[in-house]
Amino acid sequence: MVTIFGKKIRFFRPRSIWLRKVVQLFFFAFIALIAVNHTLVEAGGGIPFLSTASLHALCPFGGVVTIYQYATVGTFVQKIHESAFILMILGFLLAILFGPVFCGWVCPLGTVQEWVSQLGQKLFRRRFNHFVPEKLDQVLRYLRYAVLAWVLYMTAATGTLIFAEYDPYFALFNFWSSEVAVTGLVILGVTLLLSLFVERPWCKYACPYGALLGLSNLFRVFSIRRNAATCKADGACNIMCPMNIPVDSQNTVRDHQCISCLECTSEAVCPVAKTVVFSTQAFKNDLKLQVVAKEGAK
Amino acid sequence: MTLTSKPLAAIVLTILFGGILFTTAMGWWQTESTKEAATYTEGEFAGQANPADIRGSYTFGDVEKNFGIPSAVLAQAFGVADADPAAFPVKNLETIYAESEFEIGTASVRLFVAFYKNLPIDLTTDTYLLESAVELLKARNLTPEQLAYLENHTAPSPTAGSSAPQPESTPAAESPSEPVPTAESTHTTEESERTVKGKTTFGEILSWGVSQETIEAIIGGPLPAPSVTPKDYCTEKGLSFEEIKVKLQAEVDQAQ
Repeated sequence: MVTIFGKKIRFFRPRSIWLRKVVQLFFFAFIALIAVNHTLVEAGGGIPFLSTASLHALCPFGGVVTIYQYATVGTFVQKIHESAFILMILGFLLAILFGPVFCGWVCPLGTVQEWVSQLGQKLFRRRFNHFVPEKLDQVLRYLRYAVLAWVLYMTAATGTLIFAEYDPYFALFNFWSSEVAVTGLVILGVTLLLSLFVERPWCKYACPYGALLGLSNLFRVFSIRRNAATCKADGACNIMCPMNIPVDSQNTVRDHQCISCLECTSEAVCPVAKTVVFSTQAFKNDLKLQVVAKEGAK
Repeated sequence: MTLTSKPLAAIVLTILFGGILFTTAMGWWQTESTKEAATYTEGEFAGQANPADIRGSYTFGDVEKNFGIPSAVLAQAFGVADADPAAFPVKNLETIYAESEFEIGTASVRLFVAFYKNLPIDLTTDTYLLESAVELLKARNLTPEQLAYLENHTAPSPTAGSSAPQPESTPAAESPSEPVPTAESTHTTEESERTVKGKTTFGEILSWGVSQETIEAIIGGPLPAPSVTPKDYCTEKGLSFEEIKVKLQAEVDQAQ
């Protein structure tokens, strides 16, 4: 680390949070093994000491869609069990503390999209993740709330797991079984294809669970915070952000699309130490600015 | 307080797996439903497990636990050659007899169990059994009514699918009369068909165009919550699901 014009700059910095990749790989393998085991058990086999749960039992969004039925009738939607409800609560706890960290660190569908996107980055370099016109992109970002509303309404109205027929996550880990609907496979295929051009297209535009967790960015305890006093405004954080959030123009990231991946922080792409961090408190100069702004308003 | 990736990863893993371990220890973590059939609520058989509640997700082992019929007998009845018949899911019968001229599925298992244990079951709909199952039943004390039903509901030579255990099969003939689909299926695409099954909810039937008044007239009471299945409703009210199902299906067909 060297100091240039009073700013501490690292020349050899990690470009990415490697530990996140490890955690993502772990959860992908974990869920994949359980999904395979579930099939093997149904066929009379099975891997010892590994859960035989169905994918529905391990999806926190299953807990979300069954809330209405649980509150009104006291039962779960078909194929949903207590485990999904518990995972939903754990997911909410993580979101209150850290925002949609489930999306950025755990969700295997997000992981697969990132893997495909690595190929897209090599193919299209700087054009990658910038194909969608900004205005259209801004509108499409709210589509996932419509998907969320539709899924919740339809599940409540029919009492069935209606989203299973469209869910690319279910299709990803069950493509070999007859339980997967063609629509789910098509949506999975389209998602993976789009991942060559756009980072995390499903997460950005259609994921209902991401939409719900994304709301936690408005009040999460830990937030991505930028120290405007030391920021070089080189745009590295913006380029690295998989969700295209303009981090260098915000002191505290409250964007509903942030997935708490930490890729924009000084631990990863930001070249200036302690400038973009994941913390509970805003930087002092930011607080001073807020006080000045409040006094000005008075 | 500032967090970096290492403590964040540790906290995420701790909350998720710690939460799972804690809820497991408390007995809250359940990843599958209990496989206990509902019981008859009234009459001579009150308190006994009701074969009408056998689900496609049951294995032969679950049927054995609920009704005391050995898995091996069930396997023999339905021509299942698995090494571990107790692990064979009932819903798989539909797959292996997918090309059969007569529907062999969960409803067939319900019928077999009811006749085997001499328990009451609705006989107003057409449910078929394989010859092997009928032979086993004829060795038991069946009523004349049951024998007459079997005479007309025996699948003479099941045309099994490619994965069917029976080596002998005859080419599928055109079925003169389509059996009423009664078996449950977890196949997602099949679920999208407008067929009233054990898992179908009142909400689905409403969404298929059948009015609330029509449903209430059929079930003889106010419409329960949309998430309730007619099957569960009938079990609770002591009504015949098979009878209600046929009437609901007729309305669904009319609404299409």
